[in-house]
Amino acid sequence: MLRGISLTVSAGERVALVGESGAGKSTLLSVLQNRYDGNTALIPQDPGLVRNLSVFHNVYMGSLHRHSAAYNLLNLVWPRPAEVERIRPILERLGLADKLFERAGQLSGGQQQRTAICRALLQGGDAVLGDEPVSATDNHQSRIILDALTETFETVILAMHDVDLALEYSTRIIGIKDGGIALDAAAGGLKRADLDFLYRD
Amino acid sequence: MVVSTNSAPSAPRTSPVVKVSMGFVAVAMVCLVFADISITTLDPWSEMKRMAWGAVTPDFSVVAGIGMVIVRTIAFALLGVALGALGGFMLSQVFHLGPVRWACASVRAIHELFWALIFLQMLGLSPLTGVLAIAIPYAGICAKVYAELLEEADLPALRILPRGTGMVSALFFARLPEVWVHLKTYTSYRFECGLRSATVLGFVGLPTLGFHLETAFAEGNYSAAAGLLIIFYVLIATLRFWMRPKLVGFYVLAAPFLLGGGAAIDMGNIVRFLTVDIVPAPLRRGSFLDGQTWSDLGDWTWTLLMDQALPGMVTTLLLTQIALVATGIGALFLFPLISKKFFGPVARSVGHVFLVVMRSTPEFILAYIFLQLWGPSMLPAIVALSLHNGAIIGHLVGRFSDEVRLRPDSPRGLNLYGFEIVPRVYGQFLAFLFYRWEVIMRETAILGILGIATLGFFIDSALADIRLDRAMFLIAVTAAFNMGIDILSRRIRRRLRLRSQAGRA
Amino acid sequence: MPSIRTLSLCSAVSLLLSGALGSPAFAEPFVFTAIPDEDQSRLRQRFDKLAVYLSKELGVETKYIPVKSYAAAITAFRNNQVQLAWFGGLSGVRARFLVPGSQAIAQGYEDQAFVTYFIAHASTGLKSSDGFPKDMAGKTFTFGSKGSTSGRLIPEFHIRRIFKTAPAMVFTKVGFSGNHSKTIALVQSGAYQVGAVNFKVWQNQLKAGKIDTAKVSIIWKTPPYPDYQWTIRGDVSKRWKAGFIQRVRDVLLGMKDPDLLASFPRKSFVPASNIDYQPIWDMAKQIKLID
Repeated sequence: MLRGISLTVSAGERVALVGESGAGKSTLLSVLQNRYDGNTALIPQDPGLVRNLSVFHNVYMGSLHRHSAAYNLLNLVWPRPAEVERIRPILERLGLADKLFERAGQLSGGQQQRTAICRALLQGGDAVLGDEPVSATDNHQSRIILDALTETFETVILAMHDVDLALEYSTRIIGIKDGGIALDAAAGGLKRADLDFLYRD
Repeated sequence: MVVSTNSAPSAPRTSPVVKVSMGFVAVAMVCLVFADISITTLDPWSEMKRMAWGAVTPDFSVVAGIGMVIVRTIAFALLGVALGALGGFMLSQVFHLGPVRWACASVRAIHELFWALIFLQMLGLSPLTGVLAIAIPYAGICAKVYAELLEEADLPALRILPRGTGMVSALFFARLPEVWVHLKTYTSYRFECGLRSATVLGFVGLPTLGFHLETAFAEGNYSAAAGLLIIFYVLIATLRFWMRPKLVGFYVLAAPFLLGGGAAIDMGNIVRFLTVDIVPAPLRRGSFLDGQTWSDLGDWTWTLLMDQALPGMVTTLLLTQIALVATGIGALFLFPLISKKFFGPVARSVGHVFLVVMRSTPEFILAYIFLQLWGPSMLPAIVALSLHNGAIIGHLVGRFSDEVRLRPDSPRGLNLYGFEIVPRVYGQFLAFLFYRWEVIMRETAILGILGIATLGFFIDSALADIRLDRAMFLIAVTAAFNMGIDILSRRIRRRLRLRSQAGRA
Repeated sequence: MPSIRTLSLCSAVSLLLSGALGSPAFAEPFVFTAIPDEDQSRLRQRFDKLAVYLSKELGVETKYIPVKSYAAAITAFRNNQVQLAWFGGLSGVRARFLVPGSQAIAQGYEDQAFVTYFIAHASTGLKSSDGFPKDMAGKTFTFGSKGSTSGRLIPEFHIRRIFKTAPAMVFTKVGFSGNHSKTIALVQSGAYQVGAVNFKVWQNQLKAGKIDTAKVSIIWKTPPYPDYQWTIRGDVSKRWKAGFIQRVRDVLLGMKDPDLLASFPRKSFVPASNIDYQPIWDMAKQIKLID
């Protein structure tokens, strides 16, 4: 789907991938994820939740690599208060505090997406790769989420469909069209209209 | 997936599914020519009348302490299945390794009755004999099915795990919860099988329901036999009421104390079995350096192969092929009984009762009953195998047929059956049948214990003569034979692109 | 997640299992068994009663455990899960061969000269004769259990002696009924035309009115041979007390209760020794039932 792409993202950049759906944003994200071997958190479009586990457990999964298997299993069967307290504020910030022990499969699409974001926030790391993380949220919530992501991660790479938000929150915009990079520029110098060509046939 | 067998006039080419079916029917016809099928009792009706009378006058009082016998049967099934499922689960994690796959295939190729006979030699009538006889083959079966379930599951959560997440954590957080329901469903099905197995183990002396069932039948006390069978059916029918997920832990905890006493286990016996008893007689007696020993071993192997293994394999194969086709025909006849497309609720519930009874009764017990009625020949075995397996497949196909969507003006009755339903369910039906092939062969071999000259007959004879070396050799042959059928069945299924989830049953 | 909790509970419990199952029995009773040559409930009655008698006379808790096959009786004896057994001739020599030091200590009075009856269904037209009835060739034939003396070894020995070939070559069909009661029932029903049966079981069932002599009758009686006996493990003296074997023998020989004796059915018990069963060993060896 993508051809002849060469892309370098430096630490500290906040990159927004924009373009029509099907243009290859998700593919580019997964290529980036595979190439980058540092500590990245991932927010896939399909939120990648375990439907039978609670919101707590799904978020806790972001910290599996920090603990021993035994401690993880203990939390699976019997959530430790310390972990609950670590996770609760993250959920609170994204408006999910009341869903702490609800099964992920029973949440609405937007709530599932936010759960996946909470997991990425807990995981932390150098960079976050997100595929339309704010596609199912209203403008107010989107800002809360983007604030949280930019605070937590030094490097942020997000595929976004909301061009205004992209311009507002990014330092760099990459426009994808017809399987190639059609635009790669600092966000500061761009206006909304500069991106319109990406969405035209 | 459904493979249509509709040979429309515009498509003169016979579909491969029909060709394969015809091939199997033809093979079964040829087998029938060589099979020994007869009713040898002069007056089967009088015995049948006595059985029927027994069935309507069940006697629950014959076995003193029947309550304890029931509890013990459940305890054997529970522990056997719990250990088997646990072992199977651990093995499923390394199932991709060739040696593990082979080991699992070979342990499940040996019927639990043969395992019981082996462990009787090592451990005697200890409760562990019964538990291991169920646990070991079940571990092999569970390993395979669990591995398949885990592999087939779509696990999006695996992608988002942070780098550096350990295998165990990943398994328990991202894999298990997704397939947990499937694992639970399959394991509870296994428990039902475990109850059947535990019951059948009584026929070789373990203190379960089967022990008393065998006694009752052998003595012609059909009222007592009917009472025991009714208890068994009630046990299976009420399974979902007393086998609650929350109680499993408690049950498993209690079970070891409910197996009943038994002889203490002596390590010496185990060592002797493994290092002396099963060593072929020429090796045991002669010196390794003596050429004579090796030529004796050659004779020993050759004689055993030609006089016992080969005739046993031929009979086993004959019986298996006939029973397989008879099972298929039985299933095609039986499935409409429970299908909403053909019968109303009243008739269907009668059909359900019949199918439940047939599929709950182990083949071994059905064959035993028919043997009493008709005397020794292949007939009792064929009828037993096809009724039991036909009921299982009929049940699955019947349920599947309920999901078929029909146009509002579809035909009715026989036309509906022939033109609309059977062509649509046929692929599924064949998949179930081929999954069952290996099971039918395993059972066929075991029916030899009842006197039909399949491999089991020669194994039983070797055990009766306390020739454990020969018995083990023949059991190994049986296992290899069974694995061969398993491979063949998989090839045919793949060739015809038949797949079915529930067919694992 | 209650289900996950259940899972981990199961695993923990299963690990405990090996301990619970492996623990040995508490106070070990003196255990005996018997080859299942007849109807199970009849055996149960007889041997439970005998267990009471032995417990009282020996002053040691004595228990009978039933088994489902001749081989299981031998295996239980070999594995020291029973210390005393009521064997047939063949199962006895097999067991004593497998357990060095074990000895035959008593046999029934009648077992010194035991007999097998060949029986046939009336429809065969076979009649009772003094010489071996060769015209049974071509009929269907059932033995008793595969491991039986009177139901397998002796009849097969004579069949091979007369016809110089295996039974499968002589008869159109050969079966193993499982026990003597079953043999009689099968020949009486015509499922098999000819069968071989323990004469004591025949007499017992005849007396009990279970045999219809219009349908099934005796066509030949074999020459006498030694059969059933009590065999005891040599190491019981170590486990109980010195002279225990002699005690058991005395108690068995001293059995006077007419009901108990009638249940076997034996007139009385008389001393026996391993050497008495040499003929059985030789016959078994000859027809290759023993390597």
